[in-house]
Amino acid sequence: MKRVLFYCAIAAISFTACKKTTTHAHTPAAPTTVTGTKIISVAFDPMGMANFTLFRFRDSSIVANADSATGNWDFGLRFTTFIVNSNAGGPGSAGAILVDGTFDAATTAPSTGYAYDTTTSARAIKDGSWYTYNPTTHAFTPNAGKVFFFKTADGLHYAKMELLAVDYGPLVGNPPSPSILYYTFRYTYQSNGTTTF
Amino acid sequence: MLRLSFIISFILFYTNVFSQKDSSFSKTDAMEEVVITSTRTETKLGNVAVPTKIISKKYIQNSGLLKLQDILQEFTGITVVNSNLTTSLNGYPNPFGQGIQMLGLDPAYTAVLIDGEPLVGRNAGILKLGRIATGNIHQIEIVKGPSSSLYGSESMAGVINIITANPSDQQLDLQSRIETNKTLSQTVAYANHINKTGIQFFVNRYSSDGYDLDPSIYGKTISPFRDWNSNIKLTQQLNKKTDLILSYRNFNSKQDCNYMIDWQSNPAVVKGYTSEKDNTFFTQLTYKASARNKLFFRTFADHYSNTSFANLENTDTRFDETSFIQSILKPEIQFENIGNKRKLIGGAGTYIEMIDASRYSGKKQLLTLYTFMQNEWFLYNKKLTLIAGARLDKRNDYQLNFSPRAAIAYKPNIHWKITGSAGFGFKAPDFRHMYLDFYNSQIGYSLIGTDVLSTQLLQLQQQGELASGANITPFLNTPSLLPEKSFGTHIGAKYTRNKLTVETGIFRNDINNLIDVYLLPFKKTNYRSIYSYHNINRIFTQGAEIDAQYCISKAITLSLGYQYLEAKDKNILDQIKAGKVYKRDPVTYQTTLVTRDNYYGLSNRSHHSFNAKLLWENKNKKTNIFIRAIYRGQYGYSDINGNNIIDDDREMVKGFWNLKFSAERKIIHGLSAQIGCDNILNYTNPAQMPDIAGRLFFININYSFNHLFNKH
Repeated sequence: MKRVLFYCAIAAISFTACKKTTTHAHTPAAPTTVTGTKIISVAFDPMGMANFTLFRFRDSSIVANADSATGNWDFGLRFTTFIVNSNAGGPGSAGAILVDGTFDAATTAPSTGYAYDTTTSARAIKDGSWYTYNPTTHAFTPNAGKVFFFKTADGLHYAKMELLAVDYGPLVGNPPSPSILYYTFRYTYQSNGTTTF
Repeated sequence: MLRLSFIISFILFYTNVFSQKDSSFSKTDAMEEVVITSTRTETKLGNVAVPTKIISKKYIQNSGLLKLQDILQEFTGITVVNSNLTTSLNGYPNPFGQGIQMLGLDPAYTAVLIDGEPLVGRNAGILKLGRIATGNIHQIEIVKGPSSSLYGSESMAGVINIITANPSDQQLDLQSRIETNKTLSQTVAYANHINKTGIQFFVNRYSSDGYDLDPSIYGKTISPFRDWNSNIKLTQQLNKKTDLILSYRNFNSKQDCNYMIDWQSNPAVVKGYTSEKDNTFFTQLTYKASARNKLFFRTFADHYSNTSFANLENTDTRFDETSFIQSILKPEIQFENIGNKRKLIGGAGTYIEMIDASRYSGKKQLLTLYTFMQNEWFLYNKKLTLIAGARLDKRNDYQLNFSPRAAIAYKPNIHWKITGSAGFGFKAPDFRHMYLDFYNSQIGYSLIGTDVLSTQLLQLQQQGELASGANITPFLNTPSLLPEKSFGTHIGAKYTRNKLTVETGIFRNDINNLIDVYLLPFKKTNYRSIYSYHNINRIFTQGAEIDAQYCISKAITLSLGYQYLEAKDKNILDQIKAGKVYKRDPVTYQTTLVTRDNYYGLSNRSHHSFNAKLLWENKNKKTNIFIRAIYRGQYGYSDINGNNIIDDDREMVKGFWNLKFSAERKIIHGLSAQIGCDNILNYTNPAQMPDIAGRLFFININYSFNHLFNKH
């Protein structure tokens, strides 16, 4: 029987084009939301040594790791570990709630009940709560119908986010293994401070 | 409460009845076939009240097939499946071959017996059926539906009992076979009767070069192997009332293992082999106290081992080795009492099982005591048959298990037979569920059996291998796993008139406490996950099947079979009903709710399966041509849309046909030649069904010396 090595078995990686859209383009009022779909590179690092990839909703930007000890980012990812910018995660006030439902139907963020990165082993978003790992195909699939609501690092704004796909980066080195994961997600940031999207 | 109501309903009257005619084209058989599996006593097939099928020696010969699973899958309601998808999570990263799915249940739930005694050596619940030589099979009896009332654990879906040949008049058979992929098989079989002593001897060598479906990957899809199968059976009439059977069976298999790994950041070839050995002793003393009373004393002993090693080719140093050794001792006593209008059987036995495996911590032993009893009543001029039976199993580590079964058969006239049966089945948690202590270093997870979970967790924590803050307290008193339990019913009807036989049935099985893996809520310090087992799933399987056989002419027989099957997880259905299951299209990223109609069911189950067979036999029986078409409908393979269930066509393996052909010609007295082709359409699916080899041609030469011995 052919032994299929872990990393060799990873299926071909496919991407859909990254598209950014701005909603409410047809309304005369100034848009208060930032909406987009983003693909970010995250360290494939089961050993937990690498840096987190940090993201800020307000201007859809990836934050340099040098700023990890600031309130400039909202959430971070490394392998399958989610962090938010609070307590053990960072100096900010970011919190998160994982809610069942579709992204489009999630029009109101909860005003209370956010979880924070209390300690490094009690994160706001528990590992394993949002994905399924298939040991046969080695696919990480974000569970469908999970919407992340965030309270941003400044504690004053809300954002919603849905993970769409987790894909392996190119196989490099020997043994061939991915060094990065591509997380695809869509999100909406409400800049006017209300919980309504 | 459930138990109480079930006992009451059992007392009120339950039985188990139903029989199905074989589609073995045995229309010329003057004697009515006799089966033993359905009631543990010899019964004419026409009188059997439990769903029973026979595959005759003639069918096996006509088909020209060598592997048991290839023969079985030509019959309605039997599907050959690969080890299910969670297998690698269950601690076995490699596929473990193919098993039999009956009534939509996984291979672990069908008991496979040889002459009524268990075939030993399940790996991840699957018995490699390819290891059974078909050359000395007298007939295969298939009983569908919960059979725990007679056979205990592992017979929740049913029983496949392979009846081997018995000593007969002097006969010597030689068979030689050659097939694509340098697959060779040689058989010698000898039988004789001298006075009160009978002997049956059989030896088969089976070897193959294997095949490679994907040359771009180092190593073959199926590696070269060779199997030896031998059996010697002695029968002795000790006196007028006492008969003795002694049987010894040996299986010895060796298969190359040759693959590429990454060793210290360089590709390296590892080579070794897997060795599988099975030694079986069986004795039976039959005491006929009177014409109506019989006693059977049986002893079954088995020693099975599966060892493998692989060495790095360059340095000839050990890369990996595993071993799995299983021993079984099973003494049993059974009685049979035949009255005018009833037949009573009963018995008791002990099942002692020992396992010593590299993946378990230490040697493990299990002891089961069991007793069973069954009565059949024949009423209204034998138009009505009723059966009620039950079995008690007590294994040393869990509570008493009670498995009753009831059946009824009604034959209003010679054309019709109506049957119904209902029974409870169970499957005890097996060694891996309880004792596995396995760490997969490639993928990086631990899988720990429930009975060793607390000690292992404490040990990991003491050694500082658990992530800080891990709360192991809730897992320190993990309750032992409960047996998986099922309730199954079957209703059938059979119609026979002239050249036509039609048989149909509907079935439903509900299974609770199904064991599944779960992820512990904390990790090891190296971020590796830890899994264990729990009783969680509730599933059902239901469906309908129909078989029809029609003699178009004296020479031509046509048969058709179809099964419709649904197998679903009740917990998933509840979640769908509650609007909690979503799917996300992997291309458009559109997320929507899953409806009940979207949910296809458990993976590896085909809704539709179909078979058609055409046998042509010339008048003097010297030539026959046998054509079969087997269809397996689409079935779920793997989730792609983020909900871990099968609900999208892209998650399916498409349906496929297997066309087979064989033609046999008797050349001179005793000598016959057969040619054939299996998988004529050359269907292959390297990724999802690596056990399908592609098109195979074969030639069989049979030589039977019995005419030399017999007086003319």
